[in-house]
Amino acid sequence: MVLYAFIKGVFREALAKRILITIFGFFSVLIVLFVFAITNSTVEGLQLMLESGSAGGLKEAVLTFESYIVSGIPMFMLVASMLIITSSFIPDMLKKGHIDLLLSKPISRTKIVIGHFLAGTLLVLVSFTFLLGSIWILVSAKTGYWNVSFLYSILWFTAIFSILYSAVMLIGFLSRSTILTIMINMLLFFPTTFLLYLANTYFQSDQKGIVFGPVAEALLKFFYNILPKAWDLQDVCAQYVTQTPVTNTMPIISSVLFMCVMLSLNIWYFNKKDY
Amino acid sequence: MSVIEINSLTKHFSGKKFSGEKIKALEKVSFNVGNGEIFGLLGPNGAGKTTLVKILLGITFATEGTAKLFDKPVTNVSVKKKVGYLPENHRFPNYLTGEQVIDYFGKLSGLKKSDLDKTTYKYLKMVGMDEWGTTKIKKYSKGMMQRLGLAQAMISNPDLIFLDEPTDGVDPIGRKEIRDVLLDLKSQGKTIFLNSHLLSEIELICDKVAILNKGELVKVGSVEDITSTGNKYIFTTGDLPEEIMNKVLSEYKGTLHGKNEFECTINTLEEVNVIVDYLRSQKILIHGFSKEKNSLESMFINLIEQKN
Repeated sequence: MVLYAFIKGVFREALAKRILITIFGFFSVLIVLFVFAITNSTVEGLQLMLESGSAGGLKEAVLTFESYIVSGIPMFMLVASMLIITSSFIPDMLKKGHIDLLLSKPISRTKIVIGHFLAGTLLVLVSFTFLLGSIWILVSAKTGYWNVSFLYSILWFTAIFSILYSAVMLIGFLSRSTILTIMINMLLFFPTTFLLYLANTYFQSDQKGIVFGPVAEALLKFFYNILPKAWDLQDVCAQYVTQTPVTNTMPIISSVLFMCVMLSLNIWYFNKKDY
Repeated sequence: MSVIEINSLTKHFSGKKFSGEKIKALEKVSFNVGNGEIFGLLGPNGAGKTTLVKILLGITFATEGTAKLFDKPVTNVSVKKKVGYLPENHRFPNYLTGEQVIDYFGKLSGLKKSDLDKTTYKYLKMVGMDEWGTTKIKKYSKGMMQRLGLAQAMISNPDLIFLDEPTDGVDPIGRKEIRDVLLDLKSQGKTIFLNSHLLSEIELICDKVAILNKGELVKVGSVEDITSTGNKYIFTTGDLPEEIMNKVLSEYKGTLHGKNEFECTINTLEEVNVIVDYLRSQKILIHGFSKEKNSLESMFINLIEQKN
């Protein structure tokens, strides 16, 4: 009951601050643009592939097209925008006069952290379901091939969000500032994980050792391993969507571990802090 | 039974970063609050009143000492089911209506929707906000927000209510209404812990008060004990002839305040009656007599000045 009230409170806040309207308005515009794009045959590659005729060609064309939709840049834009939108939740909760009231209620601090995490994740799940679900219906209706695996992208994108959101929450608890939370998140977190992803890709290539010395390589690998792997998870998501077997589960395990560590830190810090 | 038990409660905050400096917010504070009492906590700004309340509610943690509510440590979350709280400068989400505020915080208190449906209107009416329940609170005045805060604190029908400056921003009629609500709660056996700067208000409704200064407990006791000046009685009479004045001075060890008033230190009620009999036998008209009391405000100022 308490957790439900908490989640409802976060949704009501998102609604009142026009966050939900903004998200759904923005996503509706994207969907309309998408409808316009596919009905006017501007997606030439898809059209050419569809015109090839065979059943295998159709499936291949749809899978390729859908893999573009869940590629790195859309993932980054969607997840980053949702992180920006939700980054005010924790600093707002910690404002004097509100946190006092919240902590005076018979709810454990651990429940408050978990409630906020679940509410943020649920908000994003609903938003991504609306956007990616609509795109899936449009593409499937247009092509006649219903690739149910595409719907995994909703869960993967939400998972990428929730892994990063666990860190955003911690920054929020530590800084109590929305602006700082967004800045640290955008200026440091996303570029850092992206550069580490590139560095790791480079280390796995034949040219390794040319640019980085052994110490730098060890350091980069260390940071790559401990930080969440949004970009690797996007690769895994694309593999799910295109029905390709997932070969490397390490990014999933290490990112989930990162989320667990972050949530534990959130809970530990919030439980010991005076307000 | 004590509803609140505080024993050697100490809270130190760290001062400037890396200076190692400690700010003593509370220093070995101990007192109890009994069931059904209205207890007032007084002190100048920065005395540690809010810190004490926050420790009792588990919002801040004590450095040393123990604090219990209903015989359970304050860190026990379940004990908060019996507690209501109105913080100073509270911030309700301003996009909610009055009813939604009650609904939200009621649910966080563990109340079911069916219970809330029954009680929301009742408590809004009790604080005179029943006509404003469906209005967004961003349109409320400060006084209306305080009334709503009070309804929010009462919604789970708690046995203990902490109120931090409940009449802040409320007009005199509203203050009287809030006082009546508090007295009504007391008559229902609720315990009220009141934190207020309005000493006259505390004096009117509190059974017991504690005075804090610079984190230390200066005095704790009933309002009567704290404001009492001993056994001084003031008599107001018609014009006193000189011979009677002399007798008052010599025999009753009185002090004259002009021709119509004198004060005496009297140990028993019998002695009061002896003076009354004497005055009446001399055909002196008695306008009134009363035991002298200091106001809580003057006692408070004296105590704080002595400590400083």
